[in-house]
Formats: sequence, structure tokens, C-alpha cells
Amino acid sequence: MSRNDIEQALVRGVEALAAFLPSAPFLLFPVLSSVCVWAVRRVFNYRDHILTWRVWLDPESVRTKPDDFILHFFRNDRVLAEVYADEVASGDINGLRAAFPALYPILGLEDAFLQALFRPELEAGDVRRIVAEFKPRAAAAVEEMGPAASDPAFWSFLEAFGMELASLGLHLLKDGTVEALILAAIEARYPDQDGSA
Amino acid sequence: MTGRAGRRLIALALCAGFLAGCSSPLKRAKLYFTRAQELDRSYGSETAVAAMKRALIEAETAVRKDPSAQAYMIKGLAEVRLERWQEAAESFRRSFALGFAPGEQWAADAALLGAALAFEASGMEETAGRVYAHLMGRSKFAPVRQAAAGRHVDLALAGALVLEGKDKDKALAALVKDVGRLLGDDFSSGFAHYLLSQVLGHRSELGSSYEEAVMARELGLPSEKILRDNDNQIVFCRDRIREGLPPAERARFDAAHETWTKRWGWRDARTPPWKKE
Repeated sequence: MSRNDIEQALVRGVEALAAFLPSAPFLLFPVLSSVCVWAVRRVFNYRDHILTWRVWLDPESVRTKPDDFILHFFRNDRVLAEVYADEVASGDINGLRAAFPALYPILGLEDAFLQALFRPELEAGDVRRIVAEFKPRAAAAVEEMGPAASDPAFWSFLEAFGMELASLGLHLLKDGTVEALILAAIEARYPDQDGSA
Repeated sequence: MTGRAGRRLIALALCAGFLAGCSSPLKRAKLYFTRAQELDRSYGSETAVAAMKRALIEAETAVRKDPSAQAYMIKGLAEVRLERWQEAAESFRRSFALGFAPGEQWAADAALLGAALAFEASGMEETAGRVYAHLMGRSKFAPVRQAAAGRHVDLALAGALVLEGKDKDKALAALVKDVGRLLGDDFSSGFAHYLLSQVLGHRSELGSSYEEAVMARELGLPSEKILRDNDNQIVFCRDRIREGLPPAERARFDAAHETWTKRWGWRDARTPPWKKE
């Protein structure tokens, strides 16, 4: 394995993927992260795995939860318990219920695509910003992915790219290293933007 | 590998080969749709959802290249299964506008579901709820029945949330009966047990909710996301149940819980395998 080869491959991958998602650089990190997850595991039917739910935003089935479930969720997540300490302590269920639809898919269901989409906020522990921006950013992601996902060339590219990364030994790197390499490649392509948002 | 699993693998391999040879997007959409239904029946949840999404992609290509009533119907059905309600309603509307003959009962049920989705989208939630309840109880078409059940329970729970006292109890009791009827039709439906677990959670019947969620996990669920939601329900109920138990009973409960979590490959009593370390 050569880390340099992987870096170069990621730079080429970002360039090619940018052509499929010309107006949505914020999707590059979630999509590339998804491909890398499966490349690391050497699973090559990417389309099935990515289509399953790594890229798409599936709606929840039963979204209406009882108050006690919502309190339990906020109390048992380390970051949420800290950020929403006042609401939890005062039993402000209306405030918690308003934040729940944005935070539960990301921190409760651990949707990988949403976690990648809101990576900067998660790293900073700025979960209130996720709540404020969830709807428009998630809607924009769904809209921007539509044309690319219906293009067979998009899937062919992802499959070939994932196989190339796997052949270069991506699985020997730590997840955090892979994420950093992806972000560096994106930031090189879009120097004026935060690569993941 | 068991004989049944082997036969399933061979069938899937044959199906995959056949899919590769299909020329038109509409044909591929129909085949992926059929494959997803087959996988649904055998609880291959992740693969079923993936197949349904491929059916949707092919149907979208089909309606772009050669819009037909049939292509829009397949698109709408795939969207129903993927819970893309608004898109499904529009697809059904176009399908009938292009001349799909509503002679088949399943087609009529699908159209009714599409109408209910449109009602809900336009704020007529009470009307939509009545149609969902009707389809949940009467439709013989499993994808429609399941989709209607999910929407009905979600709407009814949202409605019950703003009620208090006896009114709330009455609304939730009616919902338990509705889901009970669904289970009466198909007791092996993991999704129906999941819905019942959710409703019982709202009634604070956490022991029963826990049992239903365990049953749902054993029987299989239609998507990874629902499975995770169900796992969270199990953890929530487990924590709350333990709080109220004396030490001896708590130890017995923990032992029983551990039997399940070991069987499911959880890292510990509160951590399913999909949770990040």
C-alpha cells in the first residue's frame, strides 16, 4: 500500500465525482465516505449497499414517540445530555420534541449519510445548529442526488473507484485517516469551502 | 447452508442473471420490483430495499424514455414501498391519467392509497386517516396494506399525542385493536409487531412493548432504519423496566435479556452491533 497512491486516487475521484454533482460539492464527502466504507470491507456490489441507505435519506416509519422515549434519548447521549441539560432538567418536553426529528436520525439511528452531511457540526458538538439547518440541508441533498443517482455512469464510476481504492490497500488505513484524506482531496478541489459542508 | 437457503441463493442468482439480460428499463423495473417483493416475503430487508430502489431507478428511466401507464404504476408502487408518499401519489395520478385500467383490486387499492397520500399532503389528515384505516383492514395487496398501516399508526399517534386522560386512552386503545387485527391477518409480520410495540410504548405498557419489539426483531423488519428504531425501543423499554424491578427480579430479567442480545450479536445489553464504538 502507498498512502500517496491513495491520496492521488482520491484527488482523481473527487474530480470525477464533481462532474456528476456539479452544483453540490457538499455531497462529495458523504458519497465518498460511503464508497470508502464498502471499499474497506471489500464489498463490491456498491449499488445495492449504497442504495440500501448509505446515501439516500429514508423517511422514518413511526416518527411520533412518547415523551418518555424522547427524554431517554436526550439523557443517554453524552453530547445531547450536555447541550440540552437545561431542557432535560426542567422537563421542557416541547423544546426537546422540536429538536428530536433532526437529531434522532443522526444520533439515534446513526444514518451514515446524515452523519457525514453534518460532520462539522457533530465534531464541534454544535447540535443546535444541526436542528436549525436540518430541513433545508437534507432537502437540498435529496434534490441534488436525484439526477446523478439516475445516471448509470454514476454507479459504474463508484464501483470502479471503490475497487481501485480497495486494490490500493485502503483497508489498512484507519477510518479517521481515510476521512482526513477525503477532506484534503475535496478541499484541494474547492479551496474556498469547508470540504464537508 | 440449509436446503432452503441454498434454493433461495440459486433463485436469486438466476434472477440476477436474468436481470442483467433484460433490455428495457420497464422490464428491469418490473423484475426488480418482483425480486424485492420476494425478498420482502423472506425478510431480506436490506436487500429488498436495495432491489426496490433499483426498481425505482429503472422505472424513472422508463417514464423518461417512454412514459406509459404501466411504468408510472411500477414507479408508484416502488415509491410506496420506499415510503416516498408524495412521489407515489403523483405517479398513481399520472398512471391513471395515461389510461391504466383500474379493473384489478390491487390497482384500485394502490390508487386509493395515492389519494390518501394526497389528502394528507394537503392537510386533510382526518380524511387520509380514514382511508389508511380502511386499507389497513381491507386491502389484500400486502405493500399497500403495510404502507397504509404505517401511515395510519403514525397519524393516529400524532393525534393521540395532543389528547389527555380518557380521550388519549381511548384513542390508543382503538389503535391497539387496529394493529391487533393486522396481526390477526398475519401474525408472522415483524412490521406489525413493531407497530404494536410503538403503540404500547405510548400507553406506557413497557413490558408488552418490549415483548413485541423482541418479536419484531426475531421475525424480521422491512428496512435497516426500522430495525434500528426497533432496537432503540428495546433498549428504552429494557432500561425503564429494570428501574422498577427488585434486585432478584432484575437479575432474572437481565439473564433473559442477555439471551436475546447474545443471539442478535449485541456488544452488551444496551449496544446493538450497528452502534458506533
